[in-house]
Amino acid sequence: MKDYQGVVMTTPVSLGYQRQSPHGASWFIGMVLRELILRAGVSKTDVEGLAVSSFSLGVDSVVSLTQQFGLSPRWIEQADMGGVSGIVALRRAARAVQAGEAEMIACIGGDGAAHRSFEHTAANFSSWSIDAAFPYGAGGPNAIFSLITARYMKEFGATREDFARICLDQRYNANHYAQALLGHKTLSLDDYLNARPIAGPLHLFDCVMPCAGGEGFLLMTEDRARHLGLPYVQILATDELHNSFSEDPVQQRAGWACYRDALYQRAGLGPDNIDMLQTYDDYPVISMMQIEDLGFCDKGDGARFVQETDMRFDGSGKPANKLPHNTCGGQLSCGQAGSAAGYLGLTEALRQLTHSARSNQVATARTCLVSGYGMVNYDRGLCSAAAILQGADS
Amino acid sequence: MNLKEKMKRRLKLNRPSLRARARPPKQRTALGQQFTAANLPVSLSMQVCTACEHHQYPPAELCGHCLGDTLLYREVDTAGQLLSRSELHHSLWEFFKRRIRTKPWPIGSVKLRNGPVVIGHLGEDTLQTGDDVAVFSHSDASQASVLIIVSAATPIATPTQREHIVAALCLEQPAEKQGGI
Repeated sequence: MKDYQGVVMTTPVSLGYQRQSPHGASWFIGMVLRELILRAGVSKTDVEGLAVSSFSLGVDSVVSLTQQFGLSPRWIEQADMGGVSGIVALRRAARAVQAGEAEMIACIGGDGAAHRSFEHTAANFSSWSIDAAFPYGAGGPNAIFSLITARYMKEFGATREDFARICLDQRYNANHYAQALLGHKTLSLDDYLNARPIAGPLHLFDCVMPCAGGEGFLLMTEDRARHLGLPYVQILATDELHNSFSEDPVQQRAGWACYRDALYQRAGLGPDNIDMLQTYDDYPVISMMQIEDLGFCDKGDGARFVQETDMRFDGSGKPANKLPHNTCGGQLSCGQAGSAAGYLGLTEALRQLTHSARSNQVATARTCLVSGYGMVNYDRGLCSAAAILQGADS
Repeated sequence: MNLKEKMKRRLKLNRPSLRARARPPKQRTALGQQFTAANLPVSLSMQVCTACEHHQYPPAELCGHCLGDTLLYREVDTAGQLLSRSELHHSLWEFFKRRIRTKPWPIGSVKLRNGPVVIGHLGEDTLQTGDDVAVFSHSDASQASVLIIVSAATPIATPTQREHIVAALCLEQPAEKQGGI
């Protein structure tokens, strides 16, 4: 696979996080676009490409948005792929910039959260889900992930205390990130263990809170970013794989296990050289799966790894091994803003690597691995994606 | 009262939580409705590919193995192994919300000997991961076929035997609102 030389990511934007909102998806996407243009100091006509991800555009698409926003882009893309939408949009857009199809592309994920809209999304997620998953208790993703979590716990001996390590450290990170919807609350091990049960081994703090919000960034040529004076981040390597290991009866791994060696090789790095990790944390077991499949530990060893690793952004935890993880609190503490949640890891990595995060800034952050996971078509998440990013000053 | 107010009021009164009788999700795709129809006369029926013998579940237009337009419903073996189980303490659907008030709702996933992985209601609370189980279909209170998981030893050959298990789950009765509407 060709490298991404000459293409950079800039201008991370996260905005509008709310538990419920009267606004639709186009409000969040448009507000992010406006913010991107303002912060980059460019005009609307400079944005030659637009990649958009959303679950709640309804009858509209990225095409409708071009007219609503008064844009005439020569390159558009719609990546409605939930937890991988950010990385997939990044991959498509980076190649387009490299090929000269567009010099500057805005990648934006945004979703509203109208009253009872989550119920609607869950009940109508896919034809297989409608026919063969939702009728069984109508638990939505909680039901499917409780089955995956229960099996993982039984097979590898992971406990709720192990999952708590992920949730607690992320909440600590969220306590230092202003936009996190749950960032004003602390979370103790007792709070976590005594939370009300939701589904099987999943309790309240294992589940993300659906919310509204928008996330986005700009992709452009390195020359353009320099000219505009924007701090930027380089893309060392990326990959994606869908419906991998489809023969596994219950999901315990996904695409990362197939391509991680090639990914690290292209980046010229190994797991040891990764300063910071942003995983897709719709449930803690999925973060643990990513930690394993991305080579930070062996399969089934995730529980031991999180017990022995301090995942706080400032390294203030007890364990000696440090790996800042989901440094803004992830979805578990920020809320899951539909498809924007698939951009959260990327925008957070951008803030960290350009040293523009505020009170949750990781002191020495040069390389970051961002991974995405998503789309429970029936009994498992089908999509996996990963990107290794590097701050330009290293 | 003008039309707008009338519609608003009707919408408010028609909230699922206010309905006298709540039923399980009725929505199915056209393929799901065919699954229901094919399962009415037998204990378990699934699409089987006449070209490659692939058992297709959830129902699909084409065979997931050979992509042939060669799927036909056949009565199939009910045997499988329980992959995972869980109890729902929370649901997005009023029928299950009312059921969960008395007891968490048990679900499980099964690897059928014929190949497919199915999700179903657990007919017996004692089932554990790894157990040999049987899966049969039955109509629920919304007249849609759903799958029920029981232990391999449970007799499910006759409609009456299956009826008893479904009755114990309260799947055939709508969930009534207590205390009037």
